[in-house]
Amino acid sequence: MNHRSGVSHDPSTGAGRTAAARPDGWPTRHGSRHLRSKPDAALRRQALFATALAAALWVAGCAQVAHVATGQVVVGQRMMVDVDKGWNQFQFSLDDGTPTWTQEGVTVDALKFYVAKKDGELIAPTPSEPKGVVPLAFKSGMQAADVIVLYEKLYSRGGSTFKLEKVIPDTFVGVPGYRFEFSSIRKSDDLRLRGVAWFAVRNGELWAITYTAPRLAFFDAGIGGAETIARSARITL
Amino acid sequence: MKRRRWLQWGCAHCTALAGLAAAESQPEWSAPARFARPELAGEEGGLWAMMDREEARLRRSPFRIRDEPLNRYMADTACRLGGVHCPDLRVYTMRMPYFNANMAPNGMMQVWSGLLLRMENEAQLAAILAHEIGHYLQRHSLQQLRDAKARAAFATLMAGFGVYGMVGQLVLLGTAFAYSRDQEREADSISVVLMRGTGYDTREAPKVWSNLLTELKAGKDNDETLDSILFATHPSSQERQRTLEREAANGSGEIGEDAYRRRLTPPRFELLEDEIRRGRYDESLVLMDRLLARDPGQAELLYFRGEVRRLRNADGDAQAALADLDAAAQTGQAPPVTWRSLGHMQLARHQRDAAREAWLRYLALAPDAADAALIRQSLEPLK
Repeated sequence: MNHRSGVSHDPSTGAGRTAAARPDGWPTRHGSRHLRSKPDAALRRQALFATALAAALWVAGCAQVAHVATGQVVVGQRMMVDVDKGWNQFQFSLDDGTPTWTQEGVTVDALKFYVAKKDGELIAPTPSEPKGVVPLAFKSGMQAADVIVLYEKLYSRGGSTFKLEKVIPDTFVGVPGYRFEFSSIRKSDDLRLRGVAWFAVRNGELWAITYTAPRLAFFDAGIGGAETIARSARITL
Repeated sequence: MKRRRWLQWGCAHCTALAGLAAAESQPEWSAPARFARPELAGEEGGLWAMMDREEARLRRSPFRIRDEPLNRYMADTACRLGGVHCPDLRVYTMRMPYFNANMAPNGMMQVWSGLLLRMENEAQLAAILAHEIGHYLQRHSLQQLRDAKARAAFATLMAGFGVYGMVGQLVLLGTAFAYSRDQEREADSISVVLMRGTGYDTREAPKVWSNLLTELKAGKDNDETLDSILFATHPSSQERQRTLEREAANGSGEIGEDAYRRRLTPPRFELLEDEIRRGRYDESLVLMDRLLARDPGQAELLYFRGEVRRLRNADGDAQAALADLDAAAQTGQAPPVTWRSLGHMQLARHQRDAAREAWLRYLALAPDAADAALIRQSLEPLK
């Protein structure tokens, strides 16, 4: 199942303090080596189109990536977190418009911020295909279990698996909330992921942070930093 | 799996079924001799090698269902249909909650769990496997793979660009074996020959597609044209129905409902969980109704139908969900999560004592459940 790739830019999702620099170590893979054989005109046209599209995406990607400075950072205008080491941020996420930070690349580890989602607001766009999929809309009357189901549906989109590992009551953004852990196998690349989410519903608004990373090595390396950020999260207004 | 691809495949079969009756009057098709592995240096050899690499990935994939009795059953059924080609056929059952199967020219067949969940018996499964074997025997997939190779070059390039790359890979996955309508018709005709030759009841074949269409129609407000242009360009439902009825009049043989149910029961709970996660509740309800019609009062199915209704929460769903969950609970064989859902429903109806009782039962049955702490917290104000 595709995530919608064309997202509208929401200026409210930008981090408070960022510097427009592309971080070292950002993925720079080029896949053109597989285009060495071009048996027919159709393939040549396809290759040209792909090259042009890839170039456009590459340029767009450079423009979107920013460095998140350490210190106090405001996300989505209303959530403030303490950052103790540098993160890379997409000004708006490639797939769903959610503010997304990463250490290793967004297809590896992803720290996502869901800031003050109101009743009826989507946590991710509804794919254009297939039709008939229930939108992932937060409802202010949702119980904690319903919110977990919402993220379960998000992470299992397109045939990925989702397994809830543990959920405990916890404090988040200064109010009673929950922390849950999950595992998932991502369909697109068979990658086994581990994830943690922190969320709370306050005054009918959903506040959440999720962190996912490959189960081997990356998750253990990154969860500490993610946990620090989630623990520090507070509402600014 | 793209819904359109799903529809294309199903509808192509519906259309192709029109040719099944015609197959009766045509000279009997006979299977070719076993294929020799092509020379690696040639294009076909290269494509086989590409598929061999894909097969190695598939073999290791965490999405492969590692239920040995089920896998053996799938392999045996394919072998029975494949005849002399049996040694060259390898079936991989994959955990993917959509309706799909495909066949590569090197003999590798994928069958997705969403398809397995929708088959009612072995004869219906045989119809699918025989259809895929038909593609193999007619070497349809070779041409498709040549096209897919072009798409693979595209997708590989895209793979360097994060999410867009992933999307490219998914597109590739969904379209790698999109056959032409003529090829589908041919594979369908062959599938009937193979089914008849191995003693399966061919009347089960059209039921696969009529069931699928019923399900799909439920998911888009009964407007067939909404989801695929194929519905607009293909013969009408009425014509398709006439074709299905005509085909159903011909045939007899083994159906194998018990054998199929026996093999599918162990992994079914997980497959039904995946079905719910698709978030296509209208379609899932049609499926659940159909499964329950064949297995009335089955606790697991009652739970899942109740759960789908609870999650959909449309008009009348709450009452119906409660009835299903209650019915499941009364069987004495309901999965523990039945009481968790009952607790949520009772609390929503302000039936605090009933909610408390249901959740206590859930915790007694599943004290180490992942959400046990959440349920215990939910019980606090109910004391």
